[in-house]
Amino acid sequence: MMTAIFATMFLALLVLWLGRRAIAIGLLAICLALSVWLFLFEIYSPDYGFRMPWLQTERTAPAAAQRG
Amino acid sequence: MDNPAATRTLSLFGHLYLVLMLIVIAGILTAALIMQYIFGELPCPLCLLQRVAMFGVCFAVILGLRQGDTARTTGLGLVISIFLLVVAVRQTLLDIYPRPGHEYIGSAVLGLHMPVWSVLIAVALIAGYALKLTIFGDSEHRPDLASYPALQRIAAAVSLYVIVLCAINLGSVVVQCGLDECHTTGYRLLEKMR
Repeated sequence: MMTAIFATMFLALLVLWLGRRAIAIGLLAICLALSVWLFLFEIYSPDYGFRMPWLQTERTAPAAAQRG
Repeated sequence: MDNPAATRTLSLFGHLYLVLMLIVIAGILTAALIMQYIFGELPCPLCLLQRVAMFGVCFAVILGLRQGDTARTTGLGLVISIFLLVVAVRQTLLDIYPRPGHEYIGSAVLGLHMPVWSVLIAVALIAGYALKLTIFGDSEHRPDLASYPALQRIAAAVSLYVIVLCAINLGSVVVQCGLDECHTTGYRLLEKMR
């Protein structure tokens, strides 16, 4: 996925350099869409995603209840 | 602005401002490559996304220089700068809490780690665009870059350098990640060849 993102960004810059503005902006839009998708994947993927353990987002049982 | 000389001067400084922005971002991207290849610090997926965002800002600046600096090109640069800020803040928050086996990515530069530098860069870019709008306003009906041949040559050289940097990054990502997820354990293709 990262390869596709960098490939579209490179093509966007190259096509812009060659003066094809509309195609370049289209390629940039694809690149940004892929980047946002990958960023969200990195956050939410259970296998590859990163978590922030200091942000407690689920309710946990009280310590007393856990001790039984 | 009715005074043609003042309009021309404002336009010159507006273009110069954009060229300087491009030079600074190109310098930052060069420093990232030096950290990767000289100091052996492999970029993580979020670090690579931050590089993509910086190339995106370069795209917006080059578009403004080549096709005319409009409110749209400024808006595009701002949108991508905000994306850079979101990714960098996310990574800073990830690494701010010490966890076993998940320390800050890379070494500190002048006492700050890479993601924190990225946050500062993103804020500087947003502030830079705000300053540009405040000082120069919308430069849609002012002389274009072709009116200043020396500056146009410098802009073309820096733009070409950014494209070469992006090509090097593309090659580097292919070797590091292949067509799969990126990891900071090593260059995937080189490991396969061993």
